[in-house]
Amino acid sequence: MRLAIVILGAILALPVQAASPYVGQNKATASCAQCHGLRAPAEGSIFPKLSGRDPEYLKKALRHYRDKTRHSEIMNAMAGSLSDEDINDIVSFYSNVKP
Amino acid sequence: MNNHSNNNNYLLAGAFALLLGSSAGALAQADQDMAEVFQDHCASCHGSDLGGYLAPPINATTLKGRSPTALRSILMTGSFDTLMPPFYGKLTDDEIRGVIKYLQTTPKQPNPAWTLEDTRKSIKVLVKDESTLPAKPTYTIDDMTNIIGVAARGKYGRGAGSKAVFINSKTHQKIGEVATGTAAHIIEFNPANPRWAYVKTDTAEIFKVDLYSMQVVRSVKTGFNGPGIGISRDGKYIMAGSFVPHNATILDANTLEPLKSFELEGIDPDGKMVSSDSGMIIGTPYADIFAIALENAGQVWVVDLKEGFPVTKIEKVGRHLHDAFLTHGGKKLMIASYDDSIVAAIDLEKREIIKKLEAGCVPHVGGGSAVVVDGRTLGFGTNFGDCDKTVVSVWDLDKMEVVKQVPVAGGTESPAAHANAPYVAVDIISKDRRARTVQLIDKKTLEVVKTLDVGGHAYFPEYSADGKFLYISAGYNGDEVVVYDSNSLQKVAAIPMESPAGIFSRGRVKYMTRGLSPDEIGSLK
Repeated sequence: MRLAIVILGAILALPVQAASPYVGQNKATASCAQCHGLRAPAEGSIFPKLSGRDPEYLKKALRHYRDKTRHSEIMNAMAGSLSDEDINDIVSFYSNVKP
Repeated sequence: MNNHSNNNNYLLAGAFALLLGSSAGALAQADQDMAEVFQDHCASCHGSDLGGYLAPPINATTLKGRSPTALRSILMTGSFDTLMPPFYGKLTDDEIRGVIKYLQTTPKQPNPAWTLEDTRKSIKVLVKDESTLPAKPTYTIDDMTNIIGVAARGKYGRGAGSKAVFINSKTHQKIGEVATGTAAHIIEFNPANPRWAYVKTDTAEIFKVDLYSMQVVRSVKTGFNGPGIGISRDGKYIMAGSFVPHNATILDANTLEPLKSFELEGIDPDGKMVSSDSGMIIGTPYADIFAIALENAGQVWVVDLKEGFPVTKIEKVGRHLHDAFLTHGGKKLMIASYDDSIVAAIDLEKREIIKKLEAGCVPHVGGGSAVVVDGRTLGFGTNFGDCDKTVVSVWDLDKMEVVKQVPVAGGTESPAAHANAPYVAVDIISKDRRARTVQLIDKKTLEVVKTLDVGGHAYFPEYSADGKFLYISAGYNGDEVVVYDSNSLQKVAAIPMESPAGIFSRGRVKYMTRGLSPDEIGSLK
């Protein structure tokens, strides 16, 4: 019984914990790539490059934008609807892309 | 343009006006400045006359009742499933608010003038003495036919990302690129001399490119907006057509000097006299002529390349004509008509309509395709499919009848085929996950056998000249051209660039229409 609970717990926890760069790519395409690009932002634009960046930094920045503890009209709006899982997936994608 | 100085002008003008107690002057100046912002950042897609082009018309009529706040957020973030880029940081907040106000209060502008003299004055000569150019390619390539050109739009439809990129389709290596300033749209190769290519942008500029040294030698501007360009079979003439203004111009392909300009107007199929956008322009290996589609007038004009460039008008071809492809040695033209969902077959020799064929829903044939299967020549036509019927039409081009309408996953924009490749590739453009995909139709069974997940907004497939590789633009949000093996359909390469769109193989000058024999034109001689 106890083992079953552990296994069940592991299965339930799995989708939350395992950030997927593949899922992240789709989410990044929908939410981020318009400005930041999938690999690089457009030449001559002001948007920072996200590919190859430190994952912990990216996660923290996205959470702060979402929670409005870091202020930017556009980033507060873009990150406002992201779940922790979305953030983990997106970061898993960008931090693994060669810049 | 410097956004900030412009913005300062705006503020400055406002301040002076307040001092003088005249708000009319300030308004005029503000309008003037915002007109400039519009022309510099928006017009290459939305049309210089505010009347729409690749992107929808944005003016007092079309934006009536729209919330300025909602429009501001679209301008700031762009629109994810279209080419609309984010202008946050590119324009100041005052400019964003100002241009919205300007657009919501300004009607579509009248058709502007662009004379032969304007075209002549716009010629820029970058290489004065062409005899100083290298006698052969400055890079390694077996055959110039293996060159593939990609029209890279650049995220903003202008700027450093806008260029024509040239690739060796045997090695998938980039061999050169030329900056085009604004979005490159069409690349034509000179059929008579392999060293010349012509790149046309959305702002109606034409760049004459020396492919041997990969540089622009001359450029010319033939209007404000419009992708239409064709080249004559002898490589001596170019014809360029515009959406803004409604004209077309024949140019000397060597010097880019304008020779004759045509006002595009005529009586549409419903009996109304209309001024018309220029649709496709095509040269044909069959004769010294150009064919040009008058989009709104529903006419095809055949221009003879002789003294005075006389025109034969073929009327009542269809409602809202657009693009076309050639068949039967270039004697027949298959032209798409958006509004009545037909493709009209035209006999360029007799200069008359042969037949109108059913073509799905809002047909857009792109470069078109024709393949010979079991002795029959089959034509393939894609369509935007802005309704439930998403099919690719297959016609028997000898009998001029519909063979099959192949159901595909969504709207489509351009079919690619090659005599040596087993599949006809069509790009699914429906605005959801399907936009990432390209579907492959088996030439023999005429059924979809495979779906490729290319990524981004995948469109404009094109085979390499030998048919061994399939090139596909991953478009906006994809920012790369992806290359597949034509038989195994395994991905073999990816070439990064900003918002790639149309792909043009130099092989087209040999096979006339994609899918026909690699030496279709050679066999005509």
